[in-house]
Amino acid sequence: MTRTLARTATAELIKLGGLPAARGAVAGTVAAGALLAAALASSAPAGPDAGRVVTQAVPLLQAGPILIGILTAASEYAGRQIATTLAATPNRLRLLAGKAVAYLLVAAATSVATIGAGLAAAWLTRAVRGDGPARELDGWAAAGGGWAAAGAVVYLVLIGLLALGLAVLLRSLVPSLAGMLALVLVVSPLLSGFTEHARWLPDRAGSLLYRPGADPVLGPATGAAVLLIWTALITSVAAAAFHSRDA
Amino acid sequence: MTGSREPATTGSHEPATTLVRAVAAELRKTATLPASRGALAVAMLGSLGITVLNAVSVRNALRSGQPEQVGYTSPVEAAFSAFPLGTVGAVILGVVVISSEYTANSPDAGGGRQITATLTATPGRLALLTAKVAAAAVLVLATAAITIPACLALAHLIIGTPFPAATLGETAARAAGTALYWMLTGLIVLAITVLTRSGIIPLIAGIVNSSVVSVSILLTHLTSLAYYLPDLAGLRLHGDDPLDMFPGALDPLPGGLVMAAWTLGLLAVSATVFTRRDA
Amino acid sequence: MLSITRLSKRHGSRTVLSDVTFQALPGRVTGFVGPNGAGKSSTLRILLGLDRPTSGTALIDGKHYRDLPDPMRTVGSTLDGSGAHRSRTARNHLAWVARAAGIPRHRVREVLDQVGLAGAGRTRVGRFSLGMGQRLGLAAALLGEPAALVLDEPVNGLDPEGIRWMRGLLRGHADAGGTVLLSSHLMSEVAEISDDLVVIAGGRVVAAGPLDRVIAGHASLEEAFFALTGAQ
Repeated sequence: MTRTLARTATAELIKLGGLPAARGAVAGTVAAGALLAAALASSAPAGPDAGRVVTQAVPLLQAGPILIGILTAASEYAGRQIATTLAATPNRLRLLAGKAVAYLLVAAATSVATIGAGLAAAWLTRAVRGDGPARELDGWAAAGGGWAAAGAVVYLVLIGLLALGLAVLLRSLVPSLAGMLALVLVVSPLLSGFTEHARWLPDRAGSLLYRPGADPVLGPATGAAVLLIWTALITSVAAAAFHSRDA
Repeated sequence: MTGSREPATTGSHEPATTLVRAVAAELRKTATLPASRGALAVAMLGSLGITVLNAVSVRNALRSGQPEQVGYTSPVEAAFSAFPLGTVGAVILGVVVISSEYTANSPDAGGGRQITATLTATPGRLALLTAKVAAAAVLVLATAAITIPACLALAHLIIGTPFPAATLGETAARAAGTALYWMLTGLIVLAITVLTRSGIIPLIAGIVNSSVVSVSILLTHLTSLAYYLPDLAGLRLHGDDPLDMFPGALDPLPGGLVMAAWTLGLLAVSATVFTRRDA
Repeated sequence: MLSITRLSKRHGSRTVLSDVTFQALPGRVTGFVGPNGAGKSSTLRILLGLDRPTSGTALIDGKHYRDLPDPMRTVGSTLDGSGAHRSRTARNHLAWVARAAGIPRHRVREVLDQVGLAGAGRTRVGRFSLGMGQRLGLAAALLGEPAALVLDEPVNGLDPEGIRWMRGLLRGHADAGGTVLLSSHLMSEVAEISDDLVVIAGGRVVAAGPLDRVIAGHASLEEAFFALTGAQ
């Protein structure tokens, strides 16, 4: 079982690597991480430190892993690739597991590189501006900044996994992408201004991974748990649909 | 689809008729496309849904005597704060009007894209693009004409404050401005999608910049020139910014003109590219 | 051997297949013909485990497709064109198929040579002509050196030279003891290639058997086809 799963996951990795859109999403996310962090760091003279600059960029950067997750599933349905995929891997649950593993590897590498590039860019920008970056970064790290950066990486990976589940269910790129982006960028910030119940939305809850202490009810661990429960729900429904319906 | 019409041979000797026919064909094609119906549903149902949630929160806050829990208590603001969803709907429509032409039908090699059939039926590419722009504009404005009054009425109904007659003119102007903002956003995204031929980048850029974490807003911290970017230029079309979050934003009239200039400029670029490149 | 037994498929109230039974035997080319919408693709999709039947079975050497340990080493298949995403290269497409199916990597170059796409490995599938797409689909089918081939409309979009080449390839496969099941609506092609014939119309098999027996009493396969399917 592990051997065949590894085979399926490797095939999915080759598949993602062969898609120009997926390669573009990886490169674009890392580049956006560096550029946004540099812009944020240079725009706020007395503003937040280098680390917090990066976590401010995460709400925008999440578009990257969301796109990667959606491409992993939705590209099967642009044309008839899904027929070839199922001919090679008829076990549909193993196929989904392989897709999830391939996504997690690509998204984890992308997210680590993005947050790393962001931290480096913010740090460099501060250094060029003569804001004493080294001391400041030490202070940030001592104040739990490392955990926030790690939390940002985990958040980016998990929110894209939710997008992957949604794309398996919807079988199409534009509705999945529009739906996920509208949720995390428009609906959830709008609702959070009006109701405290917005904290239970997947992205609001998950964002506590990199904004610890921002919510009176949820913390990093419980927030991540809420995001994981959303992901598990959507993915279970998607897996059940994918398993039972005609391809 | 378009195949039932007789082929327009040159598109030049009776340009007006050709254009009217092309607009009618594009309107029918767009209005029956499931993706564009989805886009209009997002604009309509999304705005209504957020209006209801906002209005219920405002009502609860007022009833419990804690109005400070919500950003503002006026029904008009409760409705207007939901309208970024209309922008999202317009973005999706602008993308699908173009990207649906480039999506492969069943065979995944060779032709099989709708653009081939469309260009055969309407060889005048400028007429085709004009028709698409007109169809998208009409659909967004029609959606706004239903959605915006419905949201305002719903917010008043739920919150229960009587409609302030004195501000009717101002509210109507803001509603018209919002409808215009939706339409211009949809057309800007349409123009960009013509250039990219893929919906991914315009969709991400459009939705990101309809949001409160917009890259353009971020750029205003670097330079006030960012207020001249298309999405921020038209910001005050929605009305004055009650929380004074964007002190440098352009006034409605100059801002609207700047946004319209962006729209026309991008459409001109996309028209040039579209008429010159191979399908 | 491919055995389809009492296969039925309904979408809601619409009956797509009803009581379809036939076999495709080793060493023979079986032509599966019928008008558009007759149920050819539906039958093949069920055989390949893509769709589920409402009742009946479609088995490959006595097993369901999804229960085969390495399905692409047993059956190679194409459905409707290349089956590849248009923005990847032919080589990338075959590389992931080979990996997913547990087939050694060197087969990718071999099948590209075999189908005449050796020079097009780095070309994006979206730039392929219809005929090149068919060849790429066939390359994926041949990757696992399977004993059985299941091909949906394989000569669609091929030029005369390509059709002759395909005919030779399928004949050679059957003569070497392999099983070939191909669907088509091109009667003259099927008559040239097939040993056995299954005629389907309106979701029902209206005739099945050796080619000469099915067309007995008719001037040509085309005449037989219209006589058999026109009755529906």
